[in-house]
Amino acid sequence: MSSTAPAIEVHGLHKSYRLGRTHLHVLRGVSFTVECKEFVAVVGASGSGKSTLLHLIGLLDRIDKGTIKLEGVDIARLPQRKRNRTRCRDVGFVFQFYHLLPELSVLENTLLPAKVDESLLSWLRHRSARRRAAIEMLERVGLGERMKHRPKELSGGERQRVAIARALMNRPRFLLADEPTGNLDSRTGKQILQVLKTASRDIGQTVVMVTHDAAIAAAADRVLQLQDGKLTGK
Amino acid sequence: MYKLTLCLKYLVKRALAYFAMLGVAVCVFLMLSCVAVLTGFVNKVEVAAKGLFGDVVISSASLSGLGDYDALIGAIKKDVPAVEDASPFILTFGILQLPGNDFRRTVQLAGIRLPERARVSDFAKGLFIQQGLRNPTFDPCEPLILRRLGEDYERTFKILKRVAEPPPGGKLTPDRQVLADRLFNATGFQDQAVENVRNANQTARRVAELQAQIQAAEKDGQESKRDLLEVQKAAVERRMILPPDRRVILGLGIAGLSFRTPKGEIIRVIGPGQQIALSMIPLGRQFSYADITPVTRNFTVIDDCSTDVSSIDSEIVYVPFDTLQELCNMGAQRAAGDAGRIIESARCSQIHVKLKDSPGMSRAESLRRVNDVARQIDSVWAVFQKTHPDAARSSVAVETWRQRQSQLISMIENQRTLMVLILGVISGVAIVLIFVILYVIVVQKTRDIGVLKAVGASNLGVAGIFLTYGAAIGMIGSIFGTIAGCALVWNINPVHDWVGRNFGFQIWNRESFMFDQIPNQVEPGTVAWIVTGAIIAGVFGALLPAVIAAMRQPVEALRYE
Repeated sequence: MSSTAPAIEVHGLHKSYRLGRTHLHVLRGVSFTVECKEFVAVVGASGSGKSTLLHLIGLLDRIDKGTIKLEGVDIARLPQRKRNRTRCRDVGFVFQFYHLLPELSVLENTLLPAKVDESLLSWLRHRSARRRAAIEMLERVGLGERMKHRPKELSGGERQRVAIARALMNRPRFLLADEPTGNLDSRTGKQILQVLKTASRDIGQTVVMVTHDAAIAAAADRVLQLQDGKLTGK
Repeated sequence: MYKLTLCLKYLVKRALAYFAMLGVAVCVFLMLSCVAVLTGFVNKVEVAAKGLFGDVVISSASLSGLGDYDALIGAIKKDVPAVEDASPFILTFGILQLPGNDFRRTVQLAGIRLPERARVSDFAKGLFIQQGLRNPTFDPCEPLILRRLGEDYERTFKILKRVAEPPPGGKLTPDRQVLADRLFNATGFQDQAVENVRNANQTARRVAELQAQIQAAEKDGQESKRDLLEVQKAAVERRMILPPDRRVILGLGIAGLSFRTPKGEIIRVIGPGQQIALSMIPLGRQFSYADITPVTRNFTVIDDCSTDVSSIDSEIVYVPFDTLQELCNMGAQRAAGDAGRIIESARCSQIHVKLKDSPGMSRAESLRRVNDVARQIDSVWAVFQKTHPDAARSSVAVETWRQRQSQLISMIENQRTLMVLILGVISGVAIVLIFVILYVIVVQKTRDIGVLKAVGASNLGVAGIFLTYGAAIGMIGSIFGTIAGCALVWNINPVHDWVGRNFGFQIWNRESFMFDQIPNQVEPGTVAWIVTGAIIAGVFGALLPAVIAAMRQPVEALRYE
């Protein structure tokens, strides 16, 4: 990836879905750039295409038309294997509903991206280092004492902290957060936002956060306004 | 690495998986038990057939049998280097009676040469008195007979004490009372047998004295005294130990001469040291029917033999070869007035051939070798027949032990194949069970699949989780199934006896199935292919759910509710 190119470059992005007989045109020619280590918030009403935009940037979905470049690399041209590797190493996701695996402990959930990244033999070689990194990450988000707990034993805010630790585990260059405070009360939401900002700043990440809460969005370096699939304000 | 982690977590945390494992375990248990018993059965038939007949059998289609057999054996040993030894064998039918008793029963009479017989078959292994002796005979030494009879008496007496002991505060059940009576009766016979052997010399002297007295009474014309002495002599003669050519070895299992307790212990009633009478029709040579007169002779039982094949042990009485040959009219025919000139050689029914040991050969190689040797022997016979045209009056077959038992072996093998097919179909249920359970888990885990893909898991990786999961269900289920199956097979005889005692029915009929004991060996090869089959079934059951999981689009999976 080119280091001089913008971290994220979106140009003429279109995405539509077919829901039965209805053709839903969600994104209608969205273009913007995000600089390296920038914290950008995307705001808009429900159904405006915020999450779809985030999924497309995070390689979770395919583009219909337009381009997305991550540090100068057109992600549409990446073969499936590289898309998987990019998702694993370069992109960290934080979801509104945390999406922690209930069978795994807090530590195991945090370690999940590391385990996806490593083969069995490689894992056996790097296990200790990876474990130390996960513990450090959990301590950083304030969950050093809850590592053996299951997700169901945690509060909403704690679960989101685990999700943040998991997203940061492989030290990705991009952190994509989809309504990270949407399921929390305002006080906890602010705390989570602080954790997100601090952690990403320490690692030096480019952050794109989707939210419908203007107060939360205000914490970002820049806010993008999405309305009916089009960018209306930058 | 995540595949293994999640697979282990799903195994431990998902109770549904236990049902799939249970299904696999039951299928493996059933398959292993049935295949192990039937394979053990085939092996037993093979080992028994080989042990009884040697490796190759030369037999005549007619009762007139084979002549010049010693010359033929010499030619075979000379021309076929793989042959270790060979022995002639006579097989005919007879009636067994107990002197002074109305017991009678049809039996097969086998004329054997000892100790030659022990070199071509496993005959010596199953002997009671001469157990383990390399060169068993029809004339074992008296101390050995007495020691073994004494031990057997002690054993029977202990069983009698156990059976006749009434339960505390109660009395014997009618069945137990009948058994106690039979055991008591058996100890009486056994005691008499010991006395017969111990007093053999005195009895012989007493018979000689009585004979002398009979002759004296005859001389004096005292008919009534002579008749009385004849009766006395007949009674004493029944206790005699007859000379070696008038001794037999009984198959251990002839109904009426021995019986089995509910615990499976064999009790000898008529055994070594006692007399039996054998009647037979001398059919060895062609006569008109009017010439055929049954012959009856008394014999002393000197030993008994268990081959582990119930159909053999319950039927056969082993008689000295030369004795049976004479009684069957198969001995050499000499010219009238010139006893030195043989006009027709002595005959036997079969020749049993043993091959030299071939260590390190696989089962298939060993079978090929036996077939090759049988062909060579057939060639020797073809040449021999030209120089000895009277050796056989009807067709002669040279067969391997397997060919002789092919009908039975193929019948059991077909049964085994059928059983495997039926159980294979039943095992299909386990595959369906794994499919349904994994499908349910895949549906339940849809969002987790989305998360996994979001953190970089590939389609193949996600499929791998569920395929490994299916394989693990198959493996763990098959481990439990194998443990249960081995435990049953290894203890199948006590379990069978327990079922018989407590529920009153016998699944394994010893008469029908030939063997005294249900085969209880588990071959590692059988375990290996059943476990492999279970793992493959697990993977097969997991295949479709794994594909469904792999094809889930991450965005759809994350939005799934």
